[in-house]
Parts: sequence; structure tokens; C-alpha cells
Amino acid sequence: MQEILISRRLLLAGFASAVAAAPLRARAQGRASVLVLGMDISDGRNYDPARMSDLTPPLTNGNVYDTLVTLHPGDYATIQPMLATEWGLTQDGKAWRFHLRKGVKFWDGGDFTAEDVKFSLDRMVNLKDQPSAYASNVKSVDIVDSHTVDIVMNDPDVPLLMNLVAPAFAIYSKKLSTAQGAVSGPGADKSDKATAWLNQNSAGTAAYRMVSWERNSAVTLARNPHWWGGKAPFERVVIRHIADGAAQLLALRRGDIDAAFNLNAEQRASLTGSSDLRVEETASLDHIYMTLTSSAELNKALASPEARRAVAYAIDYDGIINGLIGGSAVRPASFLPIGVGGSTAELTQQDGYRQDLDKAKALLAAAGLPGGFEFEMSIANAAILGTNYQIIAQKIQSDLARVGIKMSLKPLDPVNLRTLYNGGKTQSVITFWNTPSPEPSLWSTASVQRVAKRVHWDVPQAMHDLVARASTARSSSEQTKLYIEYQKNLIENANYITLMQPIYRIAVSNKIKDFNATGAGWYVEMKKIRPS
Amino acid sequence: MTRYIVMRILSALIMALLATLVVFLIATQVPADPVLAQLGDLQASDPNMVAAYREKWGLDQPIWYQYFVFLQGLVQGDLGISLATHRPVVEDIVQYAPATFELATVSFALALAVAIPLGIAAAVKRDSWIDHVARVIAMLGVSAPTFWLAFIVLALFYGGLQIAPGPGRLDIAVFPPQRVTGLYLVDSLLSGQWETFTNAAAHLVLPSIVLAASVVGMLMRTVRAAMLETLTQDYIRSARAKGLSKATIVLRHALPNALIPIVTLAGIAYAILLTGAVMTETVFSWPGLGLYTFRSAVALDFPALMGITLIVAVIYLFINLVVDLSYTVIDPRVVTE
Repeated sequence: MQEILISRRLLLAGFASAVAAAPLRARAQGRASVLVLGMDISDGRNYDPARMSDLTPPLTNGNVYDTLVTLHPGDYATIQPMLATEWGLTQDGKAWRFHLRKGVKFWDGGDFTAEDVKFSLDRMVNLKDQPSAYASNVKSVDIVDSHTVDIVMNDPDVPLLMNLVAPAFAIYSKKLSTAQGAVSGPGADKSDKATAWLNQNSAGTAAYRMVSWERNSAVTLARNPHWWGGKAPFERVVIRHIADGAAQLLALRRGDIDAAFNLNAEQRASLTGSSDLRVEETASLDHIYMTLTSSAELNKALASPEARRAVAYAIDYDGIINGLIGGSAVRPASFLPIGVGGSTAELTQQDGYRQDLDKAKALLAAAGLPGGFEFEMSIANAAILGTNYQIIAQKIQSDLARVGIKMSLKPLDPVNLRTLYNGGKTQSVITFWNTPSPEPSLWSTASVQRVAKRVHWDVPQAMHDLVARASTARSSSEQTKLYIEYQKNLIENANYITLMQPIYRIAVSNKIKDFNATGAGWYVEMKKIRPS
Repeated sequence: MTRYIVMRILSALIMALLATLVVFLIATQVPADPVLAQLGDLQASDPNMVAAYREKWGLDQPIWYQYFVFLQGLVQGDLGISLATHRPVVEDIVQYAPATFELATVSFALALAVAIPLGIAAAVKRDSWIDHVARVIAMLGVSAPTFWLAFIVLALFYGGLQIAPGPGRLDIAVFPPQRVTGLYLVDSLLSGQWETFTNAAAHLVLPSIVLAASVVGMLMRTVRAAMLETLTQDYIRSARAKGLSKATIVLRHALPNALIPIVTLAGIAYAILLTGAVMTETVFSWPGLGLYTFRSAVALDFPALMGITLIVAVIYLFINLVVDLSYTVIDPRVVTE
């Protein structure tokens, strides 16, 4: 959540496209057995699964650890087996019972059992570091037998299963990690000593294992000889830190890396027609949204729902997505990304905001503000998808001016902005939202609780009830219906205006195939990538 | 002389401490909450987790006490634990400093190797073509933005001509040498890995050219100006009258007398190179102090920022001291007391 993309990249983009497409250098001998991914990984502070909290470490951890259950790329609703082959609620409904896969070994050859599940999840909870917040519904982890485990919930009405797909719920070897000082019981936050080791090594069952992390330089993975899925295609995987998109593009053209993650629209456009390189894409589950406060103290006009809706109907959404970020985004109707909780592009078409200046003017008149009004938008000095927030804000500014709404811009350092926004002291901001797993209640609950406070929205009890009913709905059609009603309410209320849901576009060399990009949180399924 | 050095070191230490106080006061007065730079959205909304975080990192203490704790640690050579990396700041700095030191030192050598001969030539052949060429190089070096120049050389020599290696300190296939000093050039020689040495040296070429460009103009113009001044002195005319060769006059008579401003500026240039490599390090993905400083500032990581400030202050003060002491060697007429 703290990733800062420097606006400089915008300037560099032009030069990147100016460089003639250089022939790819012949791959040095031995390079074919190494997969090299280029990415800005300077945000990473911890690779210990129980402490990891930044945006890029899940690329590593999602590929060196397995979780009990998982999601396949593109389908963020169907939970798939991984270390657990079957699962279901216990008879009393208070716990999930998991039947574990047999014959699975850790990379050191040790057997995987229910002990390891209990150890990993207990340690996550008792370390009390950031990931423990995602396990707040875990009451206890009980071993039934060597290959059966129960996860007992504090509140059976709060969803848990979907959270378990997040890389933070990685399962690691009790034997390997305790040998390095790992502790899982109460007081682990004081006595655990394993983080230093887990920052350099992994202790999982996945296709690859981590063998080193040189800060701001590279993460290196090696093939797990005991992987239960067979033989991983590459001997080594190197995640190379290259901060700059333009430099990533050069390295990709030279054949020094096989995939570049941080290219902006112009840089990707320069690949069109290349026979050596292609662009892989997958919708992310993140979204970028704009807020409008309900507080009359902060802005008298914005306290009126009609005035807020007037803003929403004056914005040229397609112009932002196509003109500013090269079409690399879709747009959900409101606070649930497309692909989650029944949110679809059709719903946006039907019920979402669209630019309609006449409607905006009518809404202004209804709000008693026919001549428009003024408000201030705070934005971070940062960028998203290679595009400055400031440029997006300027576009909105000019759109709003067409109906007489004057929006002034206040650029701030990202942490200053977050402090003011979280403290409920901003009239309007542009910011982004991401979650550790595609559990819809991670969006919906936040939008009526902590995020609602930031915009001074006094959420009616009926709305709280609606969100609670949606998150506990047992059938998916019932859930979809409730979440659509939820989104319609948010649209009517107009405290949140979702601007876009980015599509990850990754430039990939044709020397590799089956590049399974995923929006579920770990970017790509490395175990499936193979040399062409 | 000894007394002079001791006094200088003492005053330098006091200056360094004052610098940390200034940074500390600025950092704590920024209207931003460091907890929000460290915790995720869900975590930051949990009062228990926020309180535990503040307590763990001492952020719940009064500001003066936080500074006192910093000073207390400092006396024992402990700069505290970084809020962002959760490692001792000393450990972080020791990890990142060698990469920056190696880059800055090679850049410095390169800058001197270009600036001194060109500056001398420009002064001796004033208003000739070589003077004009030197002026153009100086102008380009000073006016080209570092990130722009960095990208141009990378695109040209790495992407286009393919004669230079890309970002990073080593190729992917080359493993870092056994760490002794953290300087790859030194460590690879110590362990006898010639291939690693040449690889590391090749990776240094482009970033050090870019970094050197930022100071080469300044150095060259100083050399030229200092030389021009000494070349008009009476003793130079006397030397000419004695029939000494031009090389002897320039190198033995003029240059030593022009050295004081040159050395002063060279000291400043070296300090600039050591502390100002953020842009170069970013484009070349160089894992040095520049990137660490940037990340720490963005994350409001007080302990790391204080540690970096202290290091930067010490670098400047130490280089200034060395420069001042070198005056007595360059010009025996200068006396320290």
C-alpha cells in the first residue's frame, strides 16, 4: 500500500520508445534453465510469511509456499484445492475441516502433516505482526489426525475460507523453521527468532524454494527437488530488481530478463509488432477511487448527495482510461472490483456512473447549486500505472469545469495524504484499494466501516445489515443479488467514485510460454511457466 | 598540529550531532503519522495494533525522550532499529554503503582523470578549440539532468550498441564474491575471481560516467580558472625567461600553486558523489545508500533518516578535514595551529 511509482517514468517512456528495437542477444549457455523476472521490488521489507506486508513479496511467497486452498488465474470465485484436497464446515458449523494432501514433502524431504498447518497458522496469529489482522477470525487450529485439521472460527458468520488463499496463510515446515528459532505459541512476538532466516530462505512445499534475497537487488529461487507436482521447469528463478520501466524494457529487449512488470502504456506500445516479445494481461482486483466527503463542516456543498452525484456524472471515465493510461483498466460500478461478488462490466454499463453533463446540471439544480460550487481534492505526489495522480486529477478538474464545478488540487506527500485522509480531514482524495484475497467482504465491510468514517458517511443500519447478509449468504446467486443491491446503494450515495480497476500488463519474451498471470495477489503462477 | 586535528574532530562531531537534531525536529514536525507509513489499511484501523506498534518503536514517548534514546544508543555505536526494515540501521547502512562508496570512488577517479588534464589544457591553450570543447563538455555535464543522461547512456550502450552490461552490479549469471569489504572490485580480487572482477568493473562503467558527469564540469572550470591565474604570475614569466620547457612550467611551477582551490573543490565533489547518487542508483538499479535514503524518507523512518544524516554529515566533515590538512602538504607556507 506504500508503493511509490516515481513520475519520472513518464518522461523516460518517450525515450524508451525512441530506442530502435534491438535484436535479442543470444542466450548464454545455461541461461535457458534460469527464468528471470524484472520488477521494482524495492518496497519489500520482509519475506517471512507471518510478517510480510508489502506489495511485491507475495510474488516470491506465493510461489515458494503452498496454501491450503487457492484460486486459478482469472477465476476469483471458485476455491481450488492445494494442500487441502477436501474441506467443509464441521457439523456444529463453527469450524472448517480440511483433509490434507498425502505424500507431500517440504523441499528438505520432510513430510507435510497437520502439525505443520497448526504451526504455521499459530505462528501467524501469535507473532501479532501485520498478517495476523487477516486471521482475526481464527480462534484455534486443532489437529484431528495426521492429515486432518480443523480451523475453529471466532464468529462463524464472518467469512474465512477465501482469506486462506492469501500468501500470508503460507504453510511451512515446523521442523525446518523451529531449527531456525521459529516459535508458534503465545509470546511468539517476543521469542521468535526465525525472521532473519525466513527473509533469506523458504520452508515450503511449492515448486520453487527461496535461496537468497539481496536487498534492492534480487531474490533467487531454486527448484524444489521434492515438489509434489512433478519437476519444476526451471533450475533457478531470479526476480531481478530493476526500478525503472525504461530500463526493464531495455533488459527485456536484450534478453537479460524474460518478463518486465513495470512498463507504462507508451513503453508497452513500443512492443507492437515485435516477433520476440508479447504482452500478457490479467485484470487486477485493485481499484482506484475518488472520495467525496459528507461533512458539511469540510464542504457545505458536498454534504448534499445531489451535489456529489453531479460530480460523479460530470467525469469522463472513458477519457481517463483510454486517454491517460492507454486502456489498461476496466471500471467497476462501485466498491467491488469486476470479478468479485457478482460485479461485472455489464453492471457498470447499466447502473454505474457515466458522463452525462445534462444530468449533472440537473443534479446541481436539485441541490440548489445551479451555478456549481467549489471543493478541494488532495492527491499524492505519486503515480499509478506510470501515470501521475496529478494528471488524472487535472483531467477530472477540466471535466467538472464544464458543469461549473471548480475543483482545486492540493498535492501532498503520500504519507501526509494518508494521515489526513484516514483522519477524516479531506474533502476529496484519489487513492487506491487492494486486499490480500478476493473475499468480497474485505471490500464491502471496509466501505461501510473504516472507509465510511474517512468520508463522514453516517451509514444507516439497513446498509450495515445488507453488507452482513451479503457476506454470510450461503448461495452464490443470493450473494450476488445482495452485493448488487449494495453497489447500487453506494452509487446513489456517491461518497465513492470508482475511477478504474487496472489491468496488469506484463511484457514477456517469446522464449517462455504458459505465463499464467493472476490478479489474486501473487502476480504469476511460476510453476506453470516453461521454456518455449 | 595534533591539537588542531583533535579540535577539528571534536567540532565536527558536535556539528554532526546538531545536524541529526535538525533532521529529527523536521521529521517529527511533518504532519504525517509514521505508523500509517508502516501499517496496512486494515492494521492501521485496529487501535490495539497501532498502540502496540507505537509502544514497540517508542513512538508513544515524548519527542525529547525519543531524541534522548537516539543519543543514548549513539554513544554505544547503536543507531537504533529501522521502522521500515526492522533491522538495525547500522546493519542497513553497512549493507548499502559499499555499493555507493565503490560507485562514487570510481566516478571521482574518472572525473579527476578527465577534468584535470582538460582543465590544464583549456587554460594553457586559452580560447583554442580545446578550450571550447572543454567548455561544451562542462556545460553538458552540468546542465544534463542525471536521470536523462543515465537513460541515454543505457539506451545507447546497453540497448543499442550492446557493448555495455545493463542495470545492477553484476550479471544475473555471476554470483557476488565472498563479502569482505562489500566492494565487489576488492572482494573479487581477494577471492581470486577474475571473471567476477571484470564483470563488476564492466557494470561500473556506465553509472560512473553518468555520476562523474555531474561534477566534471565544475572541477574542470575550477582547474582552468586556477591555472589561468597562476599562469599570469611573475614567477611563471621568470620560468619562461629561464628557457624552461613548457611542460615543466605548467606541471612543476604552475600546477602545484593552483592546487589549493582544486583540492578544496575536489573534496566537495567527492562528498557530492558519495551522497548524491539517488537518481543514478535508481536508473541503474544500484543497491546503494541513495535508494535506501529515498525509501526511508518516504516511509518516515526516523531512525534510518537520523543514521543517514549522521553518515552524510560525517562524510562532509571528514572530507573537509582531510582537505584542510592537505593544504599544509600542498603549500608548506600554510600553518595550522
